[in-house]
Amino acid sequence: MIKNYIKTAWRNLLKNKVYSILNILGLAISLACFILIALYVVDELSYDRFHEKAERIYRINSDITMGESQSLPFTSDMMGPTMKQDYPQVEEFVRIYTSNGSKLLRKGNEFIQENRVAHADSTIFEVFTLPLIAGDPDTALKDPRSVVISESAAQKYFSSVDVLGETLETIQGTEYKITGLMQDIPSNSHFRFDFLFSMDNDIYRFGNHISHNFHTYLLLREGTTAQEIEAKFNDYMDRYVMPVAKQVLNINSRKEFEDAGNKLEYSLFPITRIHLYSDRVMEIRPGGDIQYVYIFSAVALFILLIACINFMNLSTARSAGRAREVGIRKVLGSARKQLIQQFLSEAMLMAALAMFLAVGITYLSLPAFNEIAAKTLSIQRIFQPDILVFLLVLPFLVGLLAGSYPALFLSGFKPVQVLKGNLNLGAKGGTFRNVLVVFQFATSIILIIGTIVVYQQLDYIQNKNLGFNKEQVIVVNETHVLGQQAPTFKNEVLEMTGIKNGTLSGYLPVSGSSRSDNTFSKEAVMSTESSFGMQQWIIDEDYIPTMGMELVQGRNFSKKFSTDSTAVILNESAAKIFGPGDVVGKKIYRVSNFETGELTSYEIIGVVKNFHFETLRQNIGPLGFMLGNSTGLASFKVNAANISQVLIGIEQKWESMSTGMPFSYRFMDEAFDEMYRTEQRLGKIALIFSLLAILVACLGLFGLSTFIAEKRIKEIGIRKILGASVNGLVQMLSKDFLKLVIIAFVVATPLAWYAMNQWLQDFVYRIEISWLYFAAAGFLALSIALATVSYHAVKAAMMNPAKNLRSE
Amino acid sequence: MITIDNLEKFYRTEEVQTVALNKLSFQVKEGEFVAIMGPSGCGKSTLLNILGLLDDPDGGSFVFNGTEVSGFNERKRANLRKHNIGFVFQSFNLIDELTVFENVELPLIYTGVKTADRKTRVHEVLEKMGIMHRRNHFPQQLSGGQQQRVAVARAVVNNPKLILADEPTGNLDSSNGNEVMDLLTELNEAGTTIIMVTHSEHDAKYSHRIIRMLDGEKVTENVLV
Ligand SMILES: Nc1ncnc2c1ncn2[C@@H]1O[C@H](COP(=O)(O)OP(=O)(O)OP(=O)(O)O)[C@@H](O)[C@H]1O
Ligand SMILES: [Mg+2]
Repeated sequence: MIKNYIKTAWRNLLKNKVYSILNILGLAISLACFILIALYVVDELSYDRFHEKAERIYRINSDITMGESQSLPFTSDMMGPTMKQDYPQVEEFVRIYTSNGSKLLRKGNEFIQENRVAHADSTIFEVFTLPLIAGDPDTALKDPRSVVISESAAQKYFSSVDVLGETLETIQGTEYKITGLMQDIPSNSHFRFDFLFSMDNDIYRFGNHISHNFHTYLLLREGTTAQEIEAKFNDYMDRYVMPVAKQVLNINSRKEFEDAGNKLEYSLFPITRIHLYSDRVMEIRPGGDIQYVYIFSAVALFILLIACINFMNLSTARSAGRAREVGIRKVLGSARKQLIQQFLSEAMLMAALAMFLAVGITYLSLPAFNEIAAKTLSIQRIFQPDILVFLLVLPFLVGLLAGSYPALFLSGFKPVQVLKGNLNLGAKGGTFRNVLVVFQFATSIILIIGTIVVYQQLDYIQNKNLGFNKEQVIVVNETHVLGQQAPTFKNEVLEMTGIKNGTLSGYLPVSGSSRSDNTFSKEAVMSTESSFGMQQWIIDEDYIPTMGMELVQGRNFSKKFSTDSTAVILNESAAKIFGPGDVVGKKIYRVSNFETGELTSYEIIGVVKNFHFETLRQNIGPLGFMLGNSTGLASFKVNAANISQVLIGIEQKWESMSTGMPFSYRFMDEAFDEMYRTEQRLGKIALIFSLLAILVACLGLFGLSTFIAEKRIKEIGIRKILGASVNGLVQMLSKDFLKLVIIAFVVATPLAWYAMNQWLQDFVYRIEISWLYFAAAGFLALSIALATVSYHAVKAAMMNPAKNLRSE
Repeated sequence: MITIDNLEKFYRTEEVQTVALNKLSFQVKEGEFVAIMGPSGCGKSTLLNILGLLDDPDGGSFVFNGTEVSGFNERKRANLRKHNIGFVFQSFNLIDELTVFENVELPLIYTGVKTADRKTRVHEVLEKMGIMHRRNHFPQQLSGGQQQRVAVARAVVNNPKLILADEPTGNLDSSNGNEVMDLLTELNEAGTTIIMVTHSEHDAKYSHRIIRMLDGEKVTENVLV
């Protein structure tokens, strides 16, 4: 019986080539989207699950409010050891310290900048599953001058994996002995280090309970819940944090501290949730977002649904062709059940063929998808049992979904009516078909509107007045390696033609530069009422002009005033803390000695117009500039047409002054774009998938209009003979479809508006959704639909009517 | 074998109600060959559909092989049909996607005959109909007469007790028509009951008895020798 079904199905497939190709192609495209997104989602969901003890590992988060709120993934260096010592439910702790995130390591005569570096406790190998190929995990990081490196790092520096006992030298001349070789950390991990240095390193000994700089992980004992440990945090704070805070802030109790609107809160965050659920800045690697996992999954499902609808619509529309077969089979004794089975197996056969094609499409498009989504997904992944089983079952599910309505519809024909041939089959099921077409187009239009909004928001971000000018600024990285010579380097570059201005400062309003947060007071005492948190950026006199920032009060730093070393320039947000009016001449205070609580004062000499130094998702917080030496980065404003010429000049200057240090630079506007990578990726992915959705929907529309045109061919002939114009006929044939697209537009508009408004809430600075976006999306959908439908309408209307009638 | 009594069938469209069968009664005995004649629209096809259990009457009784079948549901009718009744249509109604062999095989598949038995039985009947050499062809590759012979083969492959033929020669020229009529006669002589609708007095002469209808009613019955 099954053989008979498949045989008929196959012949039907061959007989109606256009129909089969449209269906299979549509299904294949959408299945390929589905597989790609499934790979993406599975990867996103797999983060940090490879650690055998993953379920028991938590990271301590800190939420601190002192003037300004901060949500950090850090604790003090003391918190981890203290927790283990005081609370037996804590089996082990690990601290990871990433300092400024990079190190320069010697390879031969040159130094290479390595970003995947960290200092870690030796317990990292016990808590996390990071297998060592060589070396003893218990002792590998015990010695202060030891380092464990990954296989790739070993290959890179020694072209060998036999590296135990070798040494690595940093730019500072410190030598570290390689005591372990670890397997490369998988890409689905929230940290990926190639170099793990010992934590027992005197430079990183802070030893107090209030400097939050360490990623701290706790391994809880079997059976201990996170809540049990979180319940201990108050006790911990009272015993260890408050005594220090008392000294620094002049407060007597935690109540007093909290009554003044301050807050210090610790919580445990499961490591398996870090990648998708943590929205904290300063994570070790930029994370994903569960919201996008949901959005992409939904998009995949909808595209698949659009293709299934094509199948339903095409099958029922061409039912006239199948009706006779149904009638005959029924006359010959087929039960309805058998016919349903037959039609379902046809649908499944088609879905299976589409699946083969889809795997091929996935294979071909995976590199491009990886590029856009910034992933390293591999096609081999789909042959692993979990996904493979799913992919094998999927054609059956799709077949069932797409085939059940046509099967019920077709198998319901009465043989008496059908065989008589006077049943108007095309008309039957028409309403339902229309509903489905509306659904398809509504989905596509929502996707198009979504894409437009994402692109508009990105455009807005790129062109927004940021309060500084990021265009034509070259940022030279790692200038601190020049040491004392950094200012000389800056001055000599400034003399070159094409350089307008330049500044030395590690602090820039783009990512990949320094940040430093401090507590200040607007009065000469540190009280909870007067204190506030503020970014403290160290700059030089040329910084404000180079960045094109605007002073709204007072003046810039100047060499003419020797007192400027204790002066501060605030941004508008910081100035606002003093209330309305002029703040120039007022003072702010900061603790300069934690032992004695001694304060240093800074005189406000100017106020700079607010500029965006974090992403546009955030508000502009208080910030103060201070004069000093911060030589991490050198930024130069260029006014030359030939930037590459200028770059060559700067590089030559660099090479003459640095001894073998690599020259690396970036453009500030590109660094700025970095901050919106997620949105740009989202934009591209949304664009691709919405185009595919529209394409698949149009395949269906094309098929549908083919059958409608065929069905009405006799009518068209008669109308033509009676004098209808080609134009009139095209209108007549297209009208019905266009009506559906318009209804779809009406349905889609409020849904898209709501969804995109939700998305925009993530941005403090955002666009208003304009009716133009809807108009554009509607126009696009309508034009594409019109082009698709009118192909057949024109073809049918141009045909020789005599021929049409004869063929009846 | 068949007894119908006061059989009624109405068709309702928006405005009018057509009486297709109006209190029609007659009997057909096992082994008979009955021809039904009458002008176009008098209800012949409607009658045949009901006799073939494709359609349900609106009134009256229909006893098939001693069982009252009016009011049977679709599944029961299908079951009775596939074991007992073969159909031959004016327009052949072969499935274009299946070969001659596969078309004839279909009823056997639906009655659950095993593959090996199916093959022998299909070959047997194709042999008898003289179209064995065409068994792997598709319907479009055959002449009208050949297609109708395939249709007859398909109708008889299950050894039905009753064959219903609706204008079996309507689309054929006279020599092909005569061949089909000879086939039906042979089947009848082998014991199969046949009820045939026809417009042709010539074909009607092959039967034992002619029932003439007008406006859904029986007008005369002539028994032929
Ligand atoms: N589905 C239907 N809906 C409405 N009326 C119908 C339907 N089928 C048949 N009729 C009407 O019932 C009557 C009998 O039709 P039937 O097809 O049985 O005629 P017939 O005797 O087979 O005619 P012909 O010799 O032309 O085939 C006709 O008046 C026809 O118009
Ligand atoms: Mg008829």
